[in-house]
Amino acid sequence: MKPVIISKIRSSLSTRISLWTVLFAAVVFNISLIVVGILSREAVREEAVRAAGQVLDNTILRTNYILEDVENLADNMEWLIYKDIDNPDAMMEYSRSIVLNNSFLNGCSISFEPYFYPQKGKYFSCYSNNNGRYVYTTQEGSDNYQYFYLNWYMLPKLLNQPCWTEPYTDQEEGDEATMNMEMNVSYCKPLTGNDGSFIGVLSLDISLKWLSETISAVKPYPNAFAFLLGRGGTFLVHPDPEKLFYESIFTESLNGDMDPELVQLGKDMLAWKEGMSTFKIDGKSKSCVIYKPLLTTGWSLAIVCPESDIFGSYNKLRNILGAGLILGLILMFLVTYNIIHRQLLPLQKLATHAETIASGKFDVELPHMDRTDEIGVLNRAFRFMQVSLISYIDKLTSATAKRERIEGELRIARDIQMGMVPSTFPAFPGRADIDLYASIKPAKEVGGDLYDFFIQDEKLYFCIGDVSGKGIPASLLMAVARNLFRSVASEGLPPEEVARRINDTISEDNKQMMFITMFIGMADLATGTLRFCNCGHNPPVLLKASAEFMQCEANIPIGVAKGMVFKGQSLDNFRGTPILLYTDGLNEAENNLNEEFGNKRLLSALSGTPYQDAKSTIGQLLKLVSDHVGDAEQSDDLTMLCLKLL
Amino acid sequence: MITVVLLAVLLLAAVPAFAQPQETIVFTPQWTAQAQFAGYYAALEKGFYADEGLSVVIDHPNATRTSMDRTLSKHAQVTTMPVTEAIEALDHGIELVNLLQTSMNSSLMLVSRRGANPLSQRGAKVSCFRAGYSQLAKCMAQDNKLEYQWIEAANMLNLFIAGAVDASLAMSYSEYYQFLQTGIIDKNENLVYRFRDNGYNIQEDGLYMTREEYKKNPERAQKFARASQRGWEWVVKNPEEAIQIVMKQVRINHIATNATLQRLMLEEILDLMEDYETGQREYQLKEEMFNQAVLILLRGEVISKEHNIKELLP
Repeated sequence: MKPVIISKIRSSLSTRISLWTVLFAAVVFNISLIVVGILSREAVREEAVRAAGQVLDNTILRTNYILEDVENLADNMEWLIYKDIDNPDAMMEYSRSIVLNNSFLNGCSISFEPYFYPQKGKYFSCYSNNNGRYVYTTQEGSDNYQYFYLNWYMLPKLLNQPCWTEPYTDQEEGDEATMNMEMNVSYCKPLTGNDGSFIGVLSLDISLKWLSETISAVKPYPNAFAFLLGRGGTFLVHPDPEKLFYESIFTESLNGDMDPELVQLGKDMLAWKEGMSTFKIDGKSKSCVIYKPLLTTGWSLAIVCPESDIFGSYNKLRNILGAGLILGLILMFLVTYNIIHRQLLPLQKLATHAETIASGKFDVELPHMDRTDEIGVLNRAFRFMQVSLISYIDKLTSATAKRERIEGELRIARDIQMGMVPSTFPAFPGRADIDLYASIKPAKEVGGDLYDFFIQDEKLYFCIGDVSGKGIPASLLMAVARNLFRSVASEGLPPEEVARRINDTISEDNKQMMFITMFIGMADLATGTLRFCNCGHNPPVLLKASAEFMQCEANIPIGVAKGMVFKGQSLDNFRGTPILLYTDGLNEAENNLNEEFGNKRLLSALSGTPYQDAKSTIGQLLKLVSDHVGDAEQSDDLTMLCLKLL
Repeated sequence: MITVVLLAVLLLAAVPAFAQPQETIVFTPQWTAQAQFAGYYAALEKGFYADEGLSVVIDHPNATRTSMDRTLSKHAQVTTMPVTEAIEALDHGIELVNLLQTSMNSSLMLVSRRGANPLSQRGAKVSCFRAGYSQLAKCMAQDNKLEYQWIEAANMLNLFIAGAVDASLAMSYSEYYQFLQTGIIDKNENLVYRFRDNGYNIQEDGLYMTREEYKKNPERAQKFARASQRGWEWVVKNPEEAIQIVMKQVRINHIATNATLQRLMLEEILDLMEDYETGQREYQLKEEMFNQAVLILLRGEVISKEHNIKELLP
């Protein structure tokens, strides 16, 4: 499936351009969205912190009003106690009237040191309580309720200053707050005698039920909650009843597995700092905690806002934007693809027409186009190309016809030329004493090499020649030389005379300054003597046990200058020794590396194999040359003639 | 209805004579419900007392009336107390019998509120227990001429939090963890003085009965001790279930604590039950510790005469 898609994309320019465009747009949009998202998120967070901070401020302000009322009341009542300090029964009255006249008070205690009033014994603690239905007053000190050891009494005594107790429940204020669930707190003021010594405590109790309710109701977000920490880190208000009073913010740290950031939050809150921090609460999702101290009592109030709530709308918007972006990119892809596809449609038509033209229909009608853009230019270029192509093809057709005609003529010329040299072997079927074979292979249609042989008066005349140059001029001179050889030699002249005469004739009007190297031989069939004349030609090879070049006199080639004299030579006992005549197409045959076949290789080839007959020898040499040349183009005419008198 | 009555009669007849409940024993531990008394809760919950044919009620003291008060007023028949308190009681002429000694070591410690070594805080205000454990500390302070101002309190925690005291006595299994839980101090050994490591390693919790009460029915007392020991051994083997039992008591008694604190307390209590030398839970008073305690208390003039361990033995 995947390769199919890739192949589809690769084969369609419209798809590729559309994809690149959409990809680029996606990158740009995403970067923009991320930047905007980060900035927006920070703004939302700041707004949330600000809003939560405002809720905190309001709650703290409200709490402080009530607490300050209690403090003011204690300050205002204090002088009454001192005024009647010598009248213990008046203390009962004051305790009662304070509670009766201040409905926000839960209770009031005016308690004294042991035996402060000797007539009252060890304990004297006047306590009035508003139980919601009526106010009752009692002296509550006893062996079973030794108030001297309780916090509300000890704290102002030890600190020697007014103070708020930690919240406790009203059932029995003791070492371990017993859970009657109504939270009370006491403002305790030390009472001093005239000498400044501590004599007792005035304690005003209020219920913090309203505070608990107020804080519990703080919900700037659906899943937000508030908690209140006492000075010892205890949760005084917390939505989880398991934690309320029972646990401190540091409880988990006792197990050593508490989030260090939460520990730091607890420490900061207990140090009465205000601020905001973010971390996971109870291993759930991240939450923002905004906290502020309640300095009157030393407690600290915090609002926990889950980020999922704070960023709820933001996340919703982000998701919508994300979905919109994806949808937009898909639409963008489709529209872009459509536009590009339509724009490129003429190109497809052009491609189809180009294919038709390529198939040979040059006169096909190209689509008409008024466009001036690149595609219009391309269309016009196609039209021009079509016209040029038709014209070129016409010229090519004409040239080809001309060349074909010449080639036909050349083929005829070749046939004629080949017909000039004897090509029927055995050459002398009636003569068992002559083993002769010859081969000619022009490099072009016609060549400048020649060979010939005939018997005249029991003398075997033979020759081999190589006209300078190649092609038609060489072939014409070759035809002339061959005819001259046959006509001159048939007069029974020796080879050097034959050479002289041919030279004189050819040199007569040799404006082209062409010449022929030629070896002319005349074997006396009766005596076995060989007479020969070498006119600048390669020396023939005598195929003895070890092949060797024949020692030849140096004569200039035929056709160089008129009136030249040629030296002839003779070799007795020629019978039984094969001789190989060849042109330079043999020893100078080159392969693709421009390496020549060479004389050395020639002699080695002829020495290494025992002589069978003339035809085999030539056949073997042709194969060797062919192997050496390989697929290189034949550069020169190759002609060989092998003769052995038996 | 007749069927129900018949069934009830049959069931009563089937109950063996030895399993018939005797008079109820009221056991008042020296403190409110917590893991310090896990063995007794377990013995009750798992029926070890019932197995001995005992009917036991565990009735905790309140903050202002001590377990000793309750025992002497015969509100309770059995209580727990540290050895030093038992010696002090002997010195005051209260005859006591040690039925079972659970603690083998001292857990007492001094914890500084001011970030200093408690022994360097001469003249400091130090909050102490109203009952039980404070005498040893007072003797130590006297030995070291520390001139502490002792502040007896029902709740030392809030005094500590408010900074109303410079240091506080603490049990290593209870108050120490409560102090740590406030975040005011951290686990820094420089802030604590452990009596155990400084020549004051005196056994603490043991199960006591007045000799008068003991003489009434020694066998019943021994059964109570035996079932209690069985309860503690069960707790050693089943600490997590024991915590559940403790938390049940905690909830019944509305105690402001949590499972984390109670788990730490139980670990420490079980550790204190093992003799550091033998590694065994011996469940008995050690004579050399008793004699050392007598010497310390004499030196501190807490008691007026020498006492012998036999005075506490049945």
